[in-house]
Amino acid sequence: MPDEKAIIYKTLAEMPEIVISQASMRWNHTGSWRYMKPRHLNKVPPCNHGCPAGNDIEQFLRLASEKKFAEARAVIKQENPFPRVCGRVCYHPCETACNRAKFDAPTAINAVERFLGDYEGGETVKPEREASGKTVAVVGSGPAGLTAAYHLARMGHGVTVYESKKKAGGLLRYGIPAYRLGDDVLDAEIADVEALGVKIECGAQVGKDLPFDELKKFDAVFVACGVHKSQKLGVEGEDAQGVMSGLEFLARVNGGERPAIGKKVAVIGGGNSAVDAARCALRLGAEVELYYRRSRVEMPAYEAEVDEAEEEGAAINILATPVKINVQDGKVVGLTMTKMALGDPDESGRRKPEPVPGSEFDVRADAVLTAIGEKGDLEFLPDGVKLEWGKILIDEFGLTSHPGVFAGGDIAQSTQNVAYAIGGGKKAAIAIDRYLGGEKIEDIGGRILIGGEGPVSVSRYLKTGRAHAQNDDFHTVVPFEELNLNYFDESERSERNTLDKAARLAGFGEVNAGLTEAEAVRDADRCFHCGVCTMCDNCYVYCPDVSVRHKADGSWGYDIDLDYCKGCGICVYECPRSAMVLEDE
Amino acid sequence: MKKVLMGNHAASWAVKLSRVQMISAYPITPQTQIVEELSEMCGSGELKAKFMKVESEHSAMASCVAASSAGARVFTATSANGLALMHEVLHWAAGARLPIVMVNVNRAMAPGWSIWTDQCDSLSQRDTGWMQLYVENNQEVLDTVIQAYKIAEKVLLPVMVCYDAFFLSHTYEPVDIPDQKLVDEFIPYVKRKNILDPQSPHAFNSLAMPDVYMEMRHKIQLAHERALDWVEEVDADFEKAFGRSYGAVEAVQCDDADIVLVTCSTTSSPARLVVNELRGQGMKVGLLKMRLFRPFPVKRIKEALMGRKKVIVIDRNISFGKGGIFADEIKGALSNESDRPEVYGYIMGLGGRDIVPEALKEIVLEVNDMDAPPEHAIIWKGLKP
Repeated sequence: MPDEKAIIYKTLAEMPEIVISQASMRWNHTGSWRYMKPRHLNKVPPCNHGCPAGNDIEQFLRLASEKKFAEARAVIKQENPFPRVCGRVCYHPCETACNRAKFDAPTAINAVERFLGDYEGGETVKPEREASGKTVAVVGSGPAGLTAAYHLARMGHGVTVYESKKKAGGLLRYGIPAYRLGDDVLDAEIADVEALGVKIECGAQVGKDLPFDELKKFDAVFVACGVHKSQKLGVEGEDAQGVMSGLEFLARVNGGERPAIGKKVAVIGGGNSAVDAARCALRLGAEVELYYRRSRVEMPAYEAEVDEAEEEGAAINILATPVKINVQDGKVVGLTMTKMALGDPDESGRRKPEPVPGSEFDVRADAVLTAIGEKGDLEFLPDGVKLEWGKILIDEFGLTSHPGVFAGGDIAQSTQNVAYAIGGGKKAAIAIDRYLGGEKIEDIGGRILIGGEGPVSVSRYLKTGRAHAQNDDFHTVVPFEELNLNYFDESERSERNTLDKAARLAGFGEVNAGLTEAEAVRDADRCFHCGVCTMCDNCYVYCPDVSVRHKADGSWGYDIDLDYCKGCGICVYECPRSAMVLEDE
Repeated sequence: MKKVLMGNHAASWAVKLSRVQMISAYPITPQTQIVEELSEMCGSGELKAKFMKVESEHSAMASCVAASSAGARVFTATSANGLALMHEVLHWAAGARLPIVMVNVNRAMAPGWSIWTDQCDSLSQRDTGWMQLYVENNQEVLDTVIQAYKIAEKVLLPVMVCYDAFFLSHTYEPVDIPDQKLVDEFIPYVKRKNILDPQSPHAFNSLAMPDVYMEMRHKIQLAHERALDWVEEVDADFEKAFGRSYGAVEAVQCDDADIVLVTCSTTSSPARLVVNELRGQGMKVGLLKMRLFRPFPVKRIKEALMGRKKVIVIDRNISFGKGGIFADEIKGALSNESDRPEVYGYIMGLGGRDIVPEALKEIVLEVNDMDAPPEHAIIWKGLKP
């Protein structure tokens, strides 16, 4: 209780200069009035949750905004060995998820990632653990295989990657044209994987050059061989000279060949391979007609790529499919097409295309590039590995029905793209590590799945991330509605420059340029940091009880003085980014 | 370093050199450029101060009170009706003994709307407990704002630095910008006692019962009395550091004068010309420039005026129903002296009307011919017939 003795001033000199209480009210612990308690709690930003590769996007943007580029790059490399690749070819679902998209325009995450990936400097990645003595074989050196190899090596395991082609990289090298991803970029990032001690044996096709049984000498196997067998059109004339699968065409062009395709090229299909094939054909000087059997909205290719192809001069013909390839002297001279109409939805949910009777028409073509889908070649797998829908059946962490055999990437995952392949490689690496250690993945899944499901965080698994991250709420993704928008101003998004049409068609130079340092920093600074405390001091400033305090030792974060905090919740309300919670006492 | 600066930007430079930590202001002509420049200095990072936008002058002063209570060096600026809106909080700032420095660019009160100069805005705040200094040129603007921090932080009183709208605020003059290091040495930041501190919580400015209130007021008066000396000590230190000084008042050729012109702010400049001209013609004329108005430097005024025959006070202000405020204050200062000079009070230049040397000369000649001040005491100069 307070000292109740009254203070009586007898002289002027005894009196303070201002009217100020001399007794203290510290005895009055107003915290006892509280029935709700505020707490600083980092949550999951939607970008991190939306990144299939599980990047800690918020963190690398914060570092980039502070011009700590080497550290920012290191944050990406904790999760993803391929920032340079992803910064160029990822279709960035993170930006779709970005809360800023509902405010003005999403943060240019993908372009900033590219800037950071290309940033020279900073330490190379080193293994996090001592050598375990365990070995893992990886089949295929695409993004899934190399990502798994990279993280397994960081975890101390000996990894050998078997690659059927001459060079490592899988679809990144043979499927993505140089105008989107140059060999030098890919080579540099693969070299980083090898620097961790990963052995890559090229020209070694499992099932042909060496039987699967030979992999039994390894403690675990990760199958990430991708899908390479192009599906046939199933029409007359398909074996004629001038008909080529889109993937084969892309592989040859990427390998430096310039296949003879004549003046007029027909591309059949609406996926990314079809669009890539069309754009490569344009660069070889051909006129390109692309035919797709459904309508434009159903095209599986990324919209931006289709738009760019069209800008470059490819004609996109929808609701048309070939019924016959017309051949003269064993060579393609054209196609007979039929118009299509959309019927009822099929099992994929898309409306099923049906031929319109009597609508056939002929078109001239010197070459036909087919890209209507690819299948995996799974004959080399042992019997115990179950399949489903032409893919390897796996659980959430890539475990197949065969003990010790794991799978990921296009051969096992339903969504086929680089980010998902990287995510699959990460999950399998963790599952394999648990398997090699004799531990169950189920015991750990909830702690490392970002947002409680979906992508996975290797840095949380290895505890190499932010020091305080282990105490975060790793399950709650911050929705737009939880932000306090009073604290954000609208700002223009940095857009990357692109080559003009003439320069694009003149060769295979990269179409998209990166951001300048200033643009990258500026856009990184647009990040809302949803759910992650930036020490903006709003809680500190607004607390009417002066109960939110900086740490006495100056370290990161705040203390809440619960002796005096009345639980009014103003700090939680005024937090711009929902990095606090108000909980029942 | 010399720069050609308008008076308003001279004030901004002084604030920057004083390493002010918080600035809060609301725009009003003719003051706006001061804080506009400061906002840019804060924006560029060259001045590491919190720049607080507010919705009124009342809030601007309230923010300054809060930040100053937390121990920060603060600044604001205003004019005319903006200053009037602050009135309640001006009392608070002085009563709480906060060393806030404010520039008031003297602008006539509305209505009729005027953006031009006179002193009725700041003189209306005479009894709030603020110190007031009136300055003559852009160099003095810069120097006085820097001095004001040293004055305020010692005696724990808020200080208002006043200068004429447009005649100084928007007029460019060469201004010497002192070296930052010297300014840092002149006004180092010292942590005050009795500031807000979560580790030592106190209730501030709460109820003061009749048994203490009068003593608190007395202490404010004591601080003003202490400030009379302190203003001059600071000015002398300033001269040592920077080579310029201004005094609480400036007496020019008063010692042997028969007639002394009393002026303040920019009116002192034409008055200097008139004194020189009339001295050249053999008239014994002097000038007393009033720089410090609160506390009122009675001793210095007596030193300059006692023994003189006639004193002419030029007031660019009026206390309605009485007369020119400076004239009245000077009469009061001399009232207990038996052989005091006669005081002739002139009202001129209200609402920005020019005060030209010719008019001042006419006044001196006219007073020279008068036997005594007119009965109703106020002489309006330059009124339309």
